[in-house]
Amino acid sequence: MSSTSVYPTPINAFKQSKRSVLSIIVDNEPGILARIVGLFSGRGYNIEALNVTVVDIKNNLSRITIETLGEEKVISQIIAQLEKLVPVHSATNLANLSESYEAEICLVKIEFDNNEQDQKILNFADIYRSRTVQKRQNIVVYEISGTSERINKFLDDLNTIGGIKVELVRSGPIGLGI
Amino acid sequence: MDNENEFTGADILLKALKDQEVDTIFGYPGGAVLPIYDAIFGQNFLKHVLVRQEAGAVHAAEGYARSSGKVGVLLVTSGPGVTNVVTGLTDALMDSIPIVCISGQVPSHLIGTDAFQECDTTGITRPCTKHNYLVKDVSKLSETIHEAFKIASSGRPGPVLIDIPKDVQFAKSKYISKKDISFREHRIKAGSKNVDKNFVQELVNHIKKSERPIFYVGGGCLNSGPQASQELIELVNKTNIPITTTLHGLGCFPGEDKSSLGMLGMHGNYEANLAMNKCDLMINVGARFDDRVTGRLDAFSPDSVKFHIDIDQSSINKNVKVDFHTNTDITMTLKEINSFIESNNIELEKKDYTNWWGQINDWRKKECLHYEQGEEIIKPQHAISRLYDLTTQKDTFITTEVGQHQMWAAQYYKFSKPNRWITSGGLGTMGFGMPAAVGAQMANPDSLVIDIAGEASFLMNIQEIATAVQYKLPIKIFILNNEYMGMVRQWQELLHGSRYSESYVDALPDFKKLAESFNAVGVRAKNISELDDAINEMVSIDRPVIADIWVDKKENCFPMIPSGAAHHEMLLSKYDKENPENQEKGKVLV
Repeated sequence: MSSTSVYPTPINAFKQSKRSVLSIIVDNEPGILARIVGLFSGRGYNIEALNVTVVDIKNNLSRITIETLGEEKVISQIIAQLEKLVPVHSATNLANLSESYEAEICLVKIEFDNNEQDQKILNFADIYRSRTVQKRQNIVVYEISGTSERINKFLDDLNTIGGIKVELVRSGPIGLGI
Repeated sequence: MDNENEFTGADILLKALKDQEVDTIFGYPGGAVLPIYDAIFGQNFLKHVLVRQEAGAVHAAEGYARSSGKVGVLLVTSGPGVTNVVTGLTDALMDSIPIVCISGQVPSHLIGTDAFQECDTTGITRPCTKHNYLVKDVSKLSETIHEAFKIASSGRPGPVLIDIPKDVQFAKSKYISKKDISFREHRIKAGSKNVDKNFVQELVNHIKKSERPIFYVGGGCLNSGPQASQELIELVNKTNIPITTTLHGLGCFPGEDKSSLGMLGMHGNYEANLAMNKCDLMINVGARFDDRVTGRLDAFSPDSVKFHIDIDQSSINKNVKVDFHTNTDITMTLKEINSFIESNNIELEKKDYTNWWGQINDWRKKECLHYEQGEEIIKPQHAISRLYDLTTQKDTFITTEVGQHQMWAAQYYKFSKPNRWITSGGLGTMGFGMPAAVGAQMANPDSLVIDIAGEASFLMNIQEIATAVQYKLPIKIFILNNEYMGMVRQWQELLHGSRYSESYVDALPDFKKLAESFNAVGVRAKNISELDDAINEMVSIDRPVIADIWVDKKENCFPMIPSGAAHHEMLLSKYDKENPENQEKGKVLV
């Protein structure tokens, strides 16, 4: 038996899962991250990326940014559930704001063997305006920032170069509404 | 060094409890709470009820809270003490019951070392509390306790846990009283402060327009306080709109009233479910569209405009999309609706919904709660009906365990006031009812408190009889004894070819002798001729009583919306056959 839904679902109830970036302001207290992560895993929601740091030392506030996937109804439910958590001040879906900006930072370490590879790497690094953090004989470390999409493209382009070894770390997207 | 303005953590806790007007606490001592027990020893405002297992403490606190409208409080030790209350905390979270659980923790410097009776209490209870705390600094203890009570009882109520390491119970600090604490508003989640006038106006307009309206009322109405119930009664009388309640809504509106269609849902009344299915206007007052209520979602009340009043934002549009909603307190909102109708002289009396009531009365003629009581064997439905008839003159509180007996109690016992019906709905916790009765009796010492039980559920927390006996709590345990886990057996009969796998409860104790061994009283009814005498005897004895009522072993609970079916696809008796397609789909559901 195939594992389809037990209830026939009207076709139009199926909305495509959309990527959303949620921005959450919380009291910076022990266990708050566990509360939020637990809410996602306990209710079966996805976390694609997560970022958390104190943003207001005086008022002891942290901002948590979570990238998640889900249809609109699910995202609204996630927001409602987040806002029920005691230390949460607000939870906002950046997509619902009239104006918001997103950025992500990525560090990429590339190991290469020859000059030809080096030239190609340099070329892409230049196109994407990535900053050189460190360069050695056959290793280069770049820092690139921008939207997640832009970073994805940079990484896709790098992957077209054969024979190099890439190691990377990404912050996940962060965003701010205006 | 001793400063007379400084108190130990244990004393601060006691001061805070006094400040919160707590007079009863359910608990069980252990190593990590000994300083608190020492403080309890030296005072007399707080009555401590020693339970026999921590699960009993948490359900007793729930029963206390539900029956009194106050916050229930319990005290347990670290490790197994607190892991034993996880079920009860989850139960309270699901059913929105305000309780505060104080747990001891190993001393701060031992946290994380796998010390004796150490566990990650806040980690384990995080998903099953509304909020929890680990207090590492005694100077934060006062405000933590006051905030915990505020959170437990505000907005949608729920359980809050405070974990206090043993060294913090000894450490000293100043006490800050409740009136000197200013709560940070974002942490209290009390819902919107003002009534949404637009919502009220839309609702009244829709009431005027509608032909087939219905009130669908849930536990939120109960949690909003007794005034909510008064406003609801006024509104129903004013509008002549039929009303159905969820399991937890029972008592918010008088069950014997002509406007009441009784409970809806899986084992709800035929007329209530059909009315929900056919209505053109649904007014949801504090209910959460639970799966036991809605049946199959895509066939749930297809033609209605839906209004939803709920203080919990996340209950709105979670399972069922509604057309209008307000995130405000129910009492406040109903009051506004009533005064809006009054002040605008809206003539609703002319709209008596004659056709709609005619239709409903036709459905009522099905007599979905009809049963055949024979000459000999007691039908469980009859046992509840007789219990109701013989106790209805008293101010009676009913608690239940979970299963068939619980549904029969909901169907055949009628409640005229809120807070008289205490049952585990969301989580469905077997073993809930007896300790809950202990709590309800503590809160209402002069009332009759009866736990309507099944023999299997009762065995799950049977140790609490000793608690009832110790504190001279004259609770009554009314066991519908069919020697089966009846609801499991019913599902096995309906969905698993009558293969009664492990649902027969063999080697049952003799409940009469069991009662006697606990210094309680046992009574028994084996057949119909003994039933009334057993009930009367049970009620008349001013001590804990276990009544062992032998009922028909194969009786099933009807009417029933099988899992996966819709409201209009109810089974009224064992002779009704289920749609086989639904049956296959329903089998995988709970």
